[in-house]
Parts: sequence; C-alpha cells; structure tokens
Amino acid sequence: MDGVRSWAGFVADNVDGVLERSLEHLTLVAGVMVAATLFSVVLGIVLMDRPVARQAALGAAGVLLTIPSLALFAVFIPLVGIGNRPAQIALFLYAILPILRNTVTGLGSVDEAVVESARGMGMGPLQQLLRVRVPLAWPVVMAGVRVSTQLVTGIAAIAVLVGGGGLGAYIQRGLTSLGNPFSIERVWTGTVFIILLALVLDLVLGLIGRRTTSPGIR
Amino acid sequence: MTATATASDPATGGPRDRWSPRDDLGLVVTPFVLLAVLAAYLTWLGAQDLPQQAASAITGDKLLTQTREQITITALSTLGVLVIAIPLGIALTRPWGKRFAGPALAVANAGQSIPAFGLLVIALAVLGRVFGRAQDNILQNTIGEALGPGLVISVFALILFAILPILRNTMVGLQQVDPDVIEAGLGMGMTRREVLWRIELPLAVPVMLAGVRTALVINVGMATLAFLIGGGGLGVAIRSGIQLAQNVVVVTGGVLTALLALSVDWVGAVAERILRPKGL
Amino acid sequence: MSDHQPMITLDGVEKRYSEDAPPAVERLSLDVHRGEILVLVGPSGCGKSTTLRLINRMIEPTSGRIVFDGEDVTHIDANDLRRRIGYVIQRIGLFPHQTIAENVGTVPRLLGWDRGRISERTDELLDLVGLDPSLYRDRYPKELSGGQAQRVGVARALAADPPVMLMDEPFGAVDPITRDRLQNEFLRLQEEVRKTIVFVTHDIDEAIKMGDRIAILRERSVVAQLDTPSRILAYPVDDFVDDFIGSGSTLKGLHFERVRDLELSNDYPFVRSSESRGDTRRLLADSDARFALVLDERGRPERWVDDEDLSRGDPSETVAGLGPKVIAMVEGNATLHDALEAMITSSAGQAVVVGRDGAYTGVVQIEQLTEVIRRMRAEAKAHYDRLRGRA
Repeated sequence: MDGVRSWAGFVADNVDGVLERSLEHLTLVAGVMVAATLFSVVLGIVLMDRPVARQAALGAAGVLLTIPSLALFAVFIPLVGIGNRPAQIALFLYAILPILRNTVTGLGSVDEAVVESARGMGMGPLQQLLRVRVPLAWPVVMAGVRVSTQLVTGIAAIAVLVGGGGLGAYIQRGLTSLGNPFSIERVWTGTVFIILLALVLDLVLGLIGRRTTSPGIR
Repeated sequence: MTATATASDPATGGPRDRWSPRDDLGLVVTPFVLLAVLAAYLTWLGAQDLPQQAASAITGDKLLTQTREQITITALSTLGVLVIAIPLGIALTRPWGKRFAGPALAVANAGQSIPAFGLLVIALAVLGRVFGRAQDNILQNTIGEALGPGLVISVFALILFAILPILRNTMVGLQQVDPDVIEAGLGMGMTRREVLWRIELPLAVPVMLAGVRTALVINVGMATLAFLIGGGGLGVAIRSGIQLAQNVVVVTGGVLTALLALSVDWVGAVAERILRPKGL
Repeated sequence: MSDHQPMITLDGVEKRYSEDAPPAVERLSLDVHRGEILVLVGPSGCGKSTTLRLINRMIEPTSGRIVFDGEDVTHIDANDLRRRIGYVIQRIGLFPHQTIAENVGTVPRLLGWDRGRISERTDELLDLVGLDPSLYRDRYPKELSGGQAQRVGVARALAADPPVMLMDEPFGAVDPITRDRLQNEFLRLQEEVRKTIVFVTHDIDEAIKMGDRIAILRERSVVAQLDTPSRILAYPVDDFVDDFIGSGSTLKGLHFERVRDLELSNDYPFVRSSESRGDTRRLLADSDARFALVLDERGRPERWVDDEDLSRGDPSETVAGLGPKVIAMVEGNATLHDALEAMITSSAGQAVVVGRDGAYTGVVQIEQLTEVIRRMRAEAKAHYDRLRGRA
C-alpha cells in the first residue's frame, strides 16, 4: 500500500514530465502506425492477385517479427544513427505482419458473388476495390491495426536504449538509479503508463473501427 | 526466408494454417540458410580491420559465452512457462475452473502491451531485494552462484511474460475441441480424466504447440534484454557497441541475435512438426 | 431500331480457354427478340452460364460478334456495356455494407444520376418488387429473407431501366414455395416492364413456366432445340431433348391450353335443386346422358344425379340432396392441365366448367384433352416438317 501511495505521489509531482513522455511515446507509436497501416494495406491490395509474392511477403513479415526487437533496432543504427529513427524503422517493420495478414485475409474473404455482381453492374477494377472490397474487408483490417498497435506500444519502450524517447525513459532512469529514492517508482511509471496508453489507443481504434464500418457488416 | 521460419504469430498466437509439403521443405532448408548467413557474416567480419576497442568487445570467447547465456535463459524460462501455463490452462477449462476462464483470457490479451523492459526492471527490483535479504537463500547459494543472479531474475521475468501466450493457446486449443467428440467419449463410458488425456489434449496439441513456439520466440527476444539487469546474453554486445559508438559491434550483436532467434524458432517449428499428432 | 430487329444477336460466338481443349461454347448463333424471355436450359456443365456471361462480356468471347440493339458491342468498353444490361445471379451478391436503397441505386450512381432522381427511382423499384420503401429503404441485406433479397436483386438490376436483363438461375437458392411465388411475381412484373430477358436455369419446369421461348443446350452450348415451350413439349426434335424434358412432357403441354378455348359439351341436362324428381327423371330420359347436373339457386353446380337416384321417394319431391357432390370443377381460365388433375382426383371422365361467378358453363371431357394433345403434336410436327422442307 505504501508502494502504491509513494508511486501516486511520484506521478503527481511529475505530471508534466509524465505527460510529455506519454506524448512522445504516443507520437512515436502513432507515426509508426499510420505509416505501417498505409504501407501494409496498399501492399495487401497489390498482392491480392499475386499468390506467390503474397506468400513471400507474409513470410518475410513473419521473419521480421521473430527477430528480437533490440537486434532489429541495432542493425539500423549504422544506417540512420542513434535516436528515434532506428526505433521508428524497426517498429514499422514489426507492425507490418498483423496488418498485412489481416488485409490479405479480409480482401480474400469477400464473397465472390458480391464481386461478381459488382463487375456485372459495370464497376471497373478500381471501383470494385474501393466501393466493395475494401469496405467489406475493413473490419478485419482494423483488427490487424489494433493488434499491431498493442505490440508496437509495448516494444517502443526499448527505443530509449538506442537513444530514442518515450515512456521507456522512465524505466531506463529507474534502472540506472536503482537503490536511490524514486527509482522503482520511475520504473512503474513507465510500465503502467505504457499499458494505459495501449489501452486508450485500443479503445480509440475500436471506436474508429466501429464508426468507419458499415452497420450492415457489424 | 521460408514460410516455416515465420513464427506462429506472437500477436494472436492462433493456430497456423494446415500442413503442406512446402512446410517440410522449409524445415529442411532453414538451418542451412541460417548457417550460410552466419558463415557469410563471420567471413565478412574477419576481413574487417577493427579498432582495438571494437575487436575486444566481440572476441570469439565473449560472443560464445553471451550466446550460451541467452540460450540458457530462453530454455529455462520456456521450461518454467510450460510447467506453469499448461496445467493452469487445463484447469481453467475444467468445469470447476471455467468461471475464471473469461477474466484470464482478458488478462492474457491485454498482456500484449506490457513492456518487456519494464517487467524486467521490476523483476530486478523486487527479486533483487529477495536475493539481498536472504543470504543463505537457496536461490542465492546454488542456482544463483551457478548462473548469476541477473540471469536467474531474467528467467523469472521471462516466465511471467511468456505465460500469457501458452496459457491462451492451451485454453483456446481445449475450448475448440468439438463438444460432440467429448460427448461421444463420455457416452462410451470414459471418465472425465480419460476424456481429457485421450481426447481433449491430443486434439488441442497443435494449438498448444503453436503457443509454445510463440513463447520460445518471445523468450529468446526478451533474453536479449537480460543484459539490462546483469543477466548477460547477446544484448551485451549490442549495448557495448552503442556505448563505444562502434557500429560493427552493434550490428554483430544484432545479426547474431537475429540468427539465434530464427534458429530457436526453427527448433520450435521442428518440435511442432514432430509432436503434432498424425491425422490432424 | 425496327421492332423486328433482334435485341441481342450472338453471331458465331465461341469461347475457348485453351487451344487444345474443346471450346466451352462452340460457334453459337442466337437471336433474342425484343421483350421476350428466352430461357437457356440444359444439363450442368453444358455452358449455359458461360453463354449468358458472354453476352455482358463477363467472359470475353474468343471469336464471333455480339450485337446489342443493332450495335456491335464485341469490342466496346465492357463496363459501359454492363451498365446497360441488368444482371441477376443466383447468389444475388447484394453489397452487405450498403443499405437496400444504396444497393438498388448502384448503377444509377455509376451513371452519374443526381441524388433526387436516384432516390425517387429506388422507391419506385422497391414498390415494383413489392417491398415497402419506407420499411426497407434503410435496412441492410443481412436483415432480409432469401426471397426479399432476391427481390432487391431484381430491383437493383432494373435500376437504370436497362432494356435487357440477364438472369443466371435467379430463383435457384430459395425454397420451392418462395421460388414459385417469386416466379409468379416476376412474370407479373415482366408484363409491366417488358424487358428483353435471357434466363438461365437447369430446371426444365422453370424453363417451361418462365420462357416465351426455350433454348435447350447440349455440351459446348450447342443448341439442341429452340422454340416455344409448347412446341418443344409437343415435338422434341431428338432423343437428347426428349430425355431432357423427361417423362410427362406431353402432359406438361396441357399447361399452355386453357379450358375456355375448348368447345364445351352441353350433353348433360341440368336442373335447379328446386326441380321435382319426376320432371328431372323425364328430362334425363329424353337426353342421351346417364347423369343430370343439379345446380343451386345461383346456378352453381352442386350434385350429379342418375336415374336410380331420381327413382327414389315421391316424384314430386325436389332433387335437392340427391346423388354425389360435384368434385371435378374448374374455371374457364384454368389450364387443361388443371382440368386433367381435377378429373383424376375425382376419378371422373369429365370436369364441370364454371364461370368466374361460379355459375355452370359446360363440361369438358377427357377425350377432348387427348384430342388437344394429338392436335398439338400434329401442328408441331407439321411446323418442323415445313422447316425441314425449306432447308
């Protein structure tokens, strides 16, 4: 109980810093997710009619997700230096698989009769895609975006190890000052606010998903 | 890389697609590809003219020790997870444990965003105190001395972290068993226990194995962070590289970690292939 | 643009998927007349759906020409062509993410109609297919039954008022009772809209019911026989057609003739139920018939009486309540098939014909039906003999 009280005290005394770090974390995650979503959805669309390339892309994205996060951060350091940049690239690569896989699944599971009737009414390929396939695949795509966001929010804590910012900084400071006052409070602050941020993002994405999905397929 | 090298996806941990001959081909080819990449990288590294600082950070001895540490952490934590999560998963799907299944799954799903970094440091702070307090603690004296306290603490943290995917997959695997099949088993006079051992578990094995493989991948990845709390592993090389501003060292740590992770995933894939009951 | 010019002409249209394999559709030439329902029917795998899909170029022909309303459309933009042709498929393919109104308005939107016109048209069409627009406009496809969804599918195909509709087993996925109702509704609708319709089915009974003309196709979409349903039933040109239309085809032909077109016999004497037994007995004796018909006060057939019935009791009593009830009874606009059915269920050799008001108008005899069948066959045979003579 004492621990919780002293933690709450620490957070209250450092509201500004916590908000600032949270915002940093959010900015990092949001930027990565927007880029990864655009990239993965477009890639999924491009690969829709190319089964071999599609398998290869999904396989490659799977391998990326298998590589430990710190290792992936590390290999980009020689290319882009330390700071947020290697973290962004690595998180981007992690975020691809869930979105790509869901995009491919979603687009592929659209009822062929629906596409056939769209074609039969004189919709061109682009109209079929934008008016029929993408709206119908959308809930599945959004589910992938949510999974990726959870993943990326957690992993982004490590960005601080390669010179980036975000809530990981609290964990890092706590670690280096372990044994000193407020060290463990710092670690908890970083950890708890990352989980909170992930929860909030998941709620927001869930809401966006609902609002952007037709009631006909909810 | 081949399709098999793709992890059963840590994000959802769902059952993987059905087996196809290509999978087996991938299983055979993967280790050769990994070895070839390793050989190519070491050859390239040997040809580099490294500054003294860098060369001393990545001597063969150091890298071997770090690799061994990382494998030890991965193996121990995976073992620990299996021992805890599988019985727990079974318990949560029994009639008397079912009411806890919903909350447990919710926690398991929410756990995805727990930062590994934070968990490790919290484990260090909490367990470090335990280590410090009990001088003749069995952890300190036997295991701790043999492996180093940082490593032991890392294993504990990793067990906590990787419980979720195995727990979830065990539950999902058991829940998806066709109730008619269970009904048929009971109808033939099997006891609840016999139904579990002869019907439910064999049918749930593929999904459970996928969870185990996911846990392996998570563990090997997190073991890279064990260096933060003095647990060693290849993360040490990466950290040294960053501190020394020696990119070659950073990349060497990164490449070796990646290759190790892919190898571990391959081991998981082989285990999945061998242990999967025929006919499923 | 004369009315005699076919709406659609397929001119030697062929579809090959590979050089070596036999064609899926082999050099097919076919005219579809303005305002008719032409049914393509044949065993599964005969290429009837492929043929249909060649018309709106969902499948591109390998060779041959497609002429649409006098215009060669073989090489024009396929999407333009499709917007001029309604298309209904068995699995309907309503867009699940769009409301019923949005679904129906799809082609008008593609054609760039303004909103007011689209919404007006949508309501009009929903009315036309029997769905109350105020109830259904804003619903989603998942809230519809199979029959309702199919109605929306038809409305959607009609949206931009295309002169032609292609229908690929449109009623194949609903239960038999709903199918029958949808077929009837569609025929009524067609009376109103008079579209040129090409209709694919594998069900010969549906073909007979829906088609103004039927093309029976064998493998590779080769036309085995193309004619009106009654003529095909009366005179199958070969064993393939004979097998395909199956047993009972002669009886099915009776669907196309109506009782009112026959010369009804008035051989049976008829009396009101207030008539006395004695008078009726005399009347019956004067005729050649063995039975007399008793009508109620409003002239509706009630009972059959014979001499034995009339000999009972006092001759001055009325005939009311004597003899067996009339069971075999049909209206004038019933088909001969209905009449035959009535005769068989009542095991009588004749059926009593009544007007719309139920009043007696005459009697149809089973011999008349066999005569009709004989005549239909002879006419059809003469028709085909003439065709052969000309060839």
